[in-house]
Amino acid sequence: MEHKEFDQKLVEKIREEKMAPKPRWHFLLKNQVVWLAGALALLIGAVAVSVMIYLLKNNGWELQAQTNKSVLEFFLLTMPYFWIVFLGIFVFVLYYNVKHTTKGYRYPVWLIAVSGILASFILGSILFLFGVGQAIDNVLGERAPLYETVINRQLSFWFNPDEGRLAGVIVSEVADGNFYLVDPAGESWQITGQNLHADFYLSDFFKVGEPVNLVGEVIEENIFRADFIKPLVPGRRFFDRPGIKEHRGPCLQDNCPRPLPPRPIPAEVIRLDMIQDRPTR
Amino acid sequence: MIDAVGAQNLSDAELVSLTLENQDNFLYLVDRYKGKLMNYIRRLTNINDDDAEDILQEVFIKVYLNLNGFDTDLKFSSWIYRITHNQVISQHRKLKARPEGYAINIEDKAALSLAADIDIEAGADLNIMKHNIARVLSGLDQKYRDILILKFLEEKNYQEISDIIRKPAGTVASMINKAKSEFKKELIKQKIIL
Repeated sequence: MEHKEFDQKLVEKIREEKMAPKPRWHFLLKNQVVWLAGALALLIGAVAVSVMIYLLKNNGWELQAQTNKSVLEFFLLTMPYFWIVFLGIFVFVLYYNVKHTTKGYRYPVWLIAVSGILASFILGSILFLFGVGQAIDNVLGERAPLYETVINRQLSFWFNPDEGRLAGVIVSEVADGNFYLVDPAGESWQITGQNLHADFYLSDFFKVGEPVNLVGEVIEENIFRADFIKPLVPGRRFFDRPGIKEHRGPCLQDNCPRPLPPRPIPAEVIRLDMIQDRPTR
Repeated sequence: MIDAVGAQNLSDAELVSLTLENQDNFLYLVDRYKGKLMNYIRRLTNINDDDAEDILQEVFIKVYLNLNGFDTDLKFSSWIYRITHNQVISQHRKLKARPEGYAINIEDKAALSLAADIDIEAGADLNIMKHNIARVLSGLDQKYRDILILKFLEEKNYQEISDIIRKPAGTVASMINKAKSEFKKELIKQKIIL
């Protein structure tokens, strides 16, 4: 290689094509966009964690024994898989962005992944405390397609009358423990719970417009004997969807309160056959 | 523009700053690196001189255009080697290398260092040993060859290699170990005695 010739050709090319170094802001902006995208991925991952905590905390552990499923089975059947995959995707996006920062390549994959997951869980827990998980679930419950089959599989788990589990919204006044319920498919059910005690009616959730989970048995077509009952927490807004909402006619006409996110209930599970022995008021 | 004597006493980072003030100063950086980089390109590929020179020109143009993106926390040499490495990889796909060639240029010191590090007893004839090392390197997978070239022929340390190939230092260390073991296997496969 002729050194002078090479230098000359290089300089000529730079001058002829009027090349100039790219401005500094171009690189600063690029780096900031990468960091911003990483921060956004972390935030979205944290939102996923807040919904996961909300779903896991309220997946109905108190009725696990009554569902005839082992703890492991129950856990696996009600795990928020959608949100776990969602978190995984955004941890990967975070990893990709960190790797593309100026010094991101110096960190090993495991360190970025573990730090990303840990940061998502810490931030996600804080978001959960501020009610973000619940708010997201409410919005998706009301509008998202495939909500009951993909996003919140708890709803499918609890809506399996053949296995003695029923989910739905109460659409009639509760009289002697009997009431009508509309399930997630929009079908009406007559619920029998004759042994209910008067105290039971005072329960906050046991009234028109409230979504509930029941454990019991189908005794006839669209007639269900309820042995256990608990408020349905994640997926409450699913029952505000068209097709289900219309069945709550009397309630809606009276402008009754919409089913709101859960209120604190002292005894979350009320076993109907346990209260029958209490004195009647 | 600064004079040639003054430029010799300046660091790479200082020359970068001066080039941003006056583009003519870029020639001092070119002068400082063109020989080393040409050697590096020839070691990585078996392309002919004209193609290698084209790659080198593209490298310097990229360096010039991206001078403002140079991170002064890095060594300039690591940065320019990274650009060269990437340019060779992208150009190499377009250019046809000579598969039969053992054109890797190896210095005596590098050959002895490689033989010692791999724990292979060096033969009496240094030229034969260098020729054999080149043959073995040519038979290796590109990723192993590249990392051995950086470590032994370009004499870069782990941190510099990490900055050049953009991989964590730990990964570089294990890649070097794996490459050395592949080198030994290739020696046996080719029935070569250094």
